[in-house]
Amino acid sequence: MTATATPIVQLRGIDKSFGPVQVLHDVSFDIRPGEVTALVGDNGAGKSTLVKCIGGIHPIDGGAYLFEDEQVHVHSPRDAAALGVEIVYQDLALCDNLDIVQNMFLGREKRRGLVLDDATMEEMAAKTLDGLSVRTVTSIRQQVASLSGGQRQTVAIAKAVLWNSKVVILDEPTAALGVAQTAQVLELVRRLADNGIAVVLISHNMNDVFAVSDRIAALYLGRMAAQVKASDVTYSQVVELITSGRSGDLGLATANGVTL
Amino acid sequence: MKAGPSLEEIRRHNLGTLLRHVHISGSLSRAVLTDRMGLNRSTILGLVSELASAGLVREELPRDTGRAGRPSLVVRPESDQAYVLAFDVGVDRLIAARIGLGGAFLDRRETPLPPGHRSAAEVTEALAGFARQMVGAAREGSVCVGVGAAVRGTVRRLDGMVRAAPYVDWLDEEFGEDLTRRLGLGVPVTVENEASLGALAEHLRGAGAGCQDLVYLHGDIGIGGGIISGGHLLGGDAGYGGEVGHMVVNPRGGRRCGCGGRGCLEAEAGERALLEAAGLGPSATGREAVRAVVEAADRGDAGARGALHDIGDWLGIGVANLVNLLNPRTVLFGGTLREVFLGSAAQIRSRINTHALTPTREHLRLRVGALGDDAVLIGAAELAFSQLLVGPLEALARHAAVAGP
Ligand SMILES: Nc1ncnc2c1ncn2[C@@H]1O[C@H](COP(=O)(O)OP(=O)(O)OP(=O)(O)O)[C@@H](O)[C@H]1O
Ligand SMILES: [Mg+2]
Ligand SMILES: [Zn+2]
Repeated sequence: MTATATPIVQLRGIDKSFGPVQVLHDVSFDIRPGEVTALVGDNGAGKSTLVKCIGGIHPIDGGAYLFEDEQVHVHSPRDAAALGVEIVYQDLALCDNLDIVQNMFLGREKRRGLVLDDATMEEMAAKTLDGLSVRTVTSIRQQVASLSGGQRQTVAIAKAVLWNSKVVILDEPTAALGVAQTAQVLELVRRLADNGIAVVLISHNMNDVFAVSDRIAALYLGRMAAQVKASDVTYSQVVELITSGRSGDLGLATANGVTL
Repeated sequence: MKAGPSLEEIRRHNLGTLLRHVHISGSLSRAVLTDRMGLNRSTILGLVSELASAGLVREELPRDTGRAGRPSLVVRPESDQAYVLAFDVGVDRLIAARIGLGGAFLDRRETPLPPGHRSAAEVTEALAGFARQMVGAAREGSVCVGVGAAVRGTVRRLDGMVRAAPYVDWLDEEFGEDLTRRLGLGVPVTVENEASLGALAEHLRGAGAGCQDLVYLHGDIGIGGGIISGGHLLGGDAGYGGEVGHMVVNPRGGRRCGCGGRGCLEAEAGERALLEAAGLGPSATGREAVRAVVEAADRGDAGARGALHDIGDWLGIGVANLVNLLNPRTVLFGGTLREVFLGSAAQIRSRINTHALTPTREHLRLRVGALGDDAVLIGAAELAFSQLLVGPLEALARHAAVAGP
């Protein structure tokens, strides 16, 4: 990992409204390979909306979306997946009544002729979990319903890795987890980035943010207050950016950032 | 004036280097070895067959063959031919392991250690007992090529004398020599400080793999430190260096330290300090108690949060000093400091960002150890393997002769 890696995703001047309500204002955001970028902000700041725009769930109203320096148009999750962008939502997109392998291959099953190629899928799933040093899952044929919160997050992340994602976005992956499971998920997050993937982590927990991130992007009322290196800011500066949009020289030009 | 290395020396060096690659990576194709060592294919072929006929490596088909193409052979370490013994004189237990080439744990035994004074003779006796059982259970013809032992204290590198190990109450114990004699394996025991071994293990096989400059901080009853600089374990003049836990951060009115001083990092940020700050009495000790504080903080308990906040502050101050002095690429938190780091990373990072100079911290990575509680034992094993990896055939012959009938 070099600190100067060029961004794989660059958003420039993104606007997004829901009906009359503008939720994102002129947002710029960079995501770099080999780095964890923390996306922070108060409740309702627009974090989930921003990543849903990146993931093709919400169309953007204005601005540019560059992927590997080329402007792209992402209109659906399928478009995002084709670029190698995977999003793990907090309310996980895993199916309770399916097992781990079935979940990891859902909609993208391997077939041999007309029949499912279970052996290959099992092998690929096991290899992926193994490659992530995931040791907590006892059987890959276990129903997802029987997994703990941390294990579910792990499977969802492994699914993103299995499909060779270049960008993995995690929306509050540790919010519902206890200390031990959070530690495992954070280590997994760090390992993804150390393996060259561009990772975005949304979290309200500043210890989680400072423990694993290389950069911190703070949204304030739908505006990007600052995107800074984690080695250049303090906890109190980040809290100020979150709560008031500015901190010293950092942040939005006017207090409250509500110049329109 | 010294003449250049002889062909024999070059060959020995190459054998050692190849064996080290295979020992650390587990299995490598000849093509990768050729690439990594910058030698031509026939030289690699020759080296591999020499090591194979000594029983140190074998060539075989890779386990998970991809679907397409003809799989090429990989070179694997033979874990059953050459092994080491690794000992860890822990705070509350003695651990012993027999570890094969390649790093496989072949045998592992442990016994609890009641708190307080333990004579070095008692510990030596117990470890020798484990050694007898483990060597006895080894395959006939396999060779013990080294013994490494970890203690929580300051160790004279020259002869393994333990100058001070407060948690077992040792002073100037000839532990290395006594244990060597008591084992009677004809293999000298190498003794090292436990956190130094943790650093070595993480550097070779864990979260610091590939990183030549790292600082490892190990928390248990105290705070130990191990420093790898330019790929080498720092020890200083006699091996006593790296006592990160006794770096003075708050000498005026700071807390009393086990070393007799005041305001050492260990006194301000160690287990005792955390538990007391969280309002727990002297009966609360150990990893479970530390975990309980981190969990209480996670649930929102104000006292636990405040305690982690303060401890994180001191840890950050300590790390900032280390970062300014050593410019490490990676700082690793192991033992109970793993939990403490995850529970107070905001404070730790903030202190580093405030006190460390911009150039020394700009590429700094903070990580938790990847090897867990086995880091120390793995480090002891790696130390014990070092002779074999310098001159494989000589080491094997020397020790086989001792062990032979
Ligand atoms: N589909 C939608 N239709 C209308 N308004 C929406 C929609 N989705 C989000 N919003 C509004 O957009 C704003 C930003 O919401 P968003 O979910 O992006 O916030 P957030 O930063 O993720 O907050 P949290 O930390 O609580 O998850 C909120 O005011 C929310 O009510
Ligand atoms: Mg949200
Ligand atoms: Zn001290």
